[in-house]
Amino acid sequence: MSRKLQVQEDVSPNLIPMIDIMFLLLLFFMLGADMGQRDLEEVVLPTADKVQEDPNLRGEGETTTVNVHHRHSSADFSCPVNAAGAICREDDHWRLAIRAKDFTTETVRKQLQEEADASLEDQVDREAGKRLSRRKVMIRADRFAPYGLVQRLIEVCGLVGIYKVEVGAAQPPKK
Amino acid sequence: MAGGGGEQGDNPVAINVVPMVDVIFCLCVFFMCSFKFKQLEGKFDSWLPKGKGVGPSPISDILEEIRVAIYWDPKTQTVTRRMRSNKITDDEQLKRLIGEAKADFVRLNKTDTPVIIDAESKVPWNEVVTVINLAKWNAIDKIEFALGAAPGPGQPK
Repeated sequence: MSRKLQVQEDVSPNLIPMIDIMFLLLLFFMLGADMGQRDLEEVVLPTADKVQEDPNLRGEGETTTVNVHHRHSSADFSCPVNAAGAICREDDHWRLAIRAKDFTTETVRKQLQEEADASLEDQVDREAGKRLSRRKVMIRADRFAPYGLVQRLIEVCGLVGIYKVEVGAAQPPKK
Repeated sequence: MAGGGGEQGDNPVAINVVPMVDVIFCLCVFFMCSFKFKQLEGKFDSWLPKGKGVGPSPISDILEEIRVAIYWDPKTQTVTRRMRSNKITDDEQLKRLIGEAKADFVRLNKTDTPVIIDAESKVPWNEVVTVINLAKWNAIDKIEFALGAAPGPGQPK
């Protein structure tokens, strides 16, 4: 009888390996979590196999990332066309976003002007006849975004003295 | 949730790990839910001309360009692409036509002929990026965006 009781005590689970594995999982998810500033909106970028890898994805340093995205669904707004995955062509459904703040083509000029003026080149450019901006603008436009909106954004960049414009695209999955 | 373990008789100050395991479980669930795999992203440099500004450029020689026009049909929600007088049916055809046009200009010692993308404002952005990508395939770095709407398929440029 006493021998049988001894066997029952030995089958209690050892929690140490489980805790070790959970700590490792926790560490993995913590390091993989994106706790950075919301520079990058959730957009589906167009794919292009000739795209250059961008080491400065978060737009650190003298780069402003402008996201061109469809308005998010909310209590007072919904777009059935976009929700169905189709191409929405309503101009007022599309927004420009810089650091998670939405702009229109009219209001984005003031923001870009401030950012351009904050990092002007040291010397007057001979071709332009004025001091241009060192700042780069990275355009991350959704694949279904209307070209006209991106076109106006590029136009605004030129008007505020930003000539270094980059266009974001995704690399297609490798076969 | 989690049972205690170890031989508590050996250590009179044994730590109760149950609350710790519970907390770690909760943290794991939180980070697992917020975790997502990112798509590899890249960029195309498209620096604007410094001296030209954003106004219309003078058309000195209309033939010194490779112009791809993209039109949007709102009824069928599709795009139509044209280069010179050709209606483009697929990407391979456009890639070949851009390559041939570039080769023509290279034979005339014009090695930096730009590809001009002349698209209507409603055209989806991925169609424009596709043309940029095909130009890059033909080793053309100079890509220009035409401002204003493209003329209709039957209208003169």
